[in-house]
Amino acid sequence: MNITVIKPGLQTTIQSGSRIGLRHLGVPANGAADPLSLALANKLVGNTWDAPALEAALLGPSLRFDSRCAFAIAGAHAVVTLNDEQQAQHETLFANAGDELVIGAAAVGARVYIAVAGGLDADVVLESASTNLQAGFGGHKGRALQVGDRLEVASGEVEFLQTPDEFRLPMSSSWGLRACPAGESDRLDETSRHALFDTNWNVDRRADRMGLRLDGPALSVSSDGRMPSAAVMPGTIQCPEDGVPYLLSVDAGTVGGYPRIAQVARLDRHVLGQLRPGDHVRLLPREPDEAVGELRAKLAYWREWLPDVEAIIL
Amino acid sequence: MLTRSGDDLFSIAVSSAREAQALAQHLRDTGEWLEVIPGIDTVVVRFDAASWGADRVSAAIEEAVISSPCSLPESGELLEIPVVYGGDAGPDFDALCQATGLAPGELIALHSSGDYTVDMIGFTPGFAFVGGLDERFRVPRRDEPRQRVEAGSIGIADGRTGLYAMASPGGWNIIGRTSYKLFDPVAANPFALQAGMRVRFTAINAHEFES
Repeated sequence: MNITVIKPGLQTTIQSGSRIGLRHLGVPANGAADPLSLALANKLVGNTWDAPALEAALLGPSLRFDSRCAFAIAGAHAVVTLNDEQQAQHETLFANAGDELVIGAAAVGARVYIAVAGGLDADVVLESASTNLQAGFGGHKGRALQVGDRLEVASGEVEFLQTPDEFRLPMSSSWGLRACPAGESDRLDETSRHALFDTNWNVDRRADRMGLRLDGPALSVSSDGRMPSAAVMPGTIQCPEDGVPYLLSVDAGTVGGYPRIAQVARLDRHVLGQLRPGDHVRLLPREPDEAVGELRAKLAYWREWLPDVEAIIL
Repeated sequence: MLTRSGDDLFSIAVSSAREAQALAQHLRDTGEWLEVIPGIDTVVVRFDAASWGADRVSAAIEEAVISSPCSLPESGELLEIPVVYGGDAGPDFDALCQATGLAPGELIALHSSGDYTVDMIGFTPGFAFVGGLDERFRVPRRDEPRQRVEAGSIGIADGRTGLYAMASPGGWNIIGRTSYKLFDPVAANPFALQAGMRVRFTAINAHEFES
């Protein structure tokens, strides 16, 4: 069966799990920027957590189902209608042939995930079906959806399911990200070191799957602000020459030459996908082992609903 | 020297890109890591902090550092990369001639006479940092990075040649371009270049490039 794209939305891509173990070849993570929401949506239609699904940034798509289909929505809060009738997030939904699904603008959070029973057919390249927009591979023809695209679905029968309240990932416009010292944290001068953790940072307009600029006081690093290229990851915070911290996300390059002044801890990296321009971000200092303790507690909590959570929050 | 650089990251300082590549390969061969990423003078390891304690990880890394060879085995392979120097293919070619005091012909002869080694792959899929550049080429990156550098572009900065395997933003001084496909995501082997591989550049003209 098929889904036809009537309006593509701002940037709607097919995403699955991230690319792992290929960074030494320059291949970034890609994958759902908020993998936890991807997993929550997939769970409701009986899919594996990383079945290829749609990730819609800020303004969602309009889609037409060509035959009966079960689907589910999770992630950012947005008005969702099926034939003009409002639909709930976090439960299995059913569409009939010819039904039109409209995902509105995200009101809180940045990315909505739309999973369909059986998963979307997608190009698997370099071990993942996730779209790599920069190099143009994976997902649907290596690009964001366009008007008229037809997506193939491997249909599947599913039972109605609702996400229990305690596992509906809360959305916000004010976020705390636990962060540890990174490679060049000690190059920050004292004022900057305090500012990094004491500032209510503003997510700049330039925020995408590559990374997010954090507006606030300019930071300064000792030395000339350049260093030999070294590994960076999703969650790495760089301090470029202009002193505006840059928080790297899932599509960021694999090495960089700017000082790495903090590293968002593993347990909070899924939040990167929900940060939107204008949101407030507070970095919460953690010692590495402290963050690992919190990670393990978080994984234990989520395991009850998502048994694969170790692979999801990775 | 081993330092923790995140809750699930360790960084190892090494003395050269060669050493970084050898250690990274050795770590991949001897342990189960999520990522092992060599840099110019570091190797970063990402481990599964949900199941591995940091003590166990640091012990395993230290053991690998001791048993690692100093460099990758010498690669016999020599890849010839045809390059169109200057003109539209090399928007920074003239500026580089000025900065280095080399005449256009001298610059091409010098760059295409060297024997180079791929020091590192990274940044974007297949982007190659190629070492062994003549000291006369020593220039920093451009002050203003370009929003788009074409695929196949050959740049110079900080004592290395950089090969843009795909179009991307970039700050290297672009002296030419190759039609050699450096990255093809759907090929059996998507990456034409690997760390440790030997490389030579051959000057061709724009007509040869087209064909």
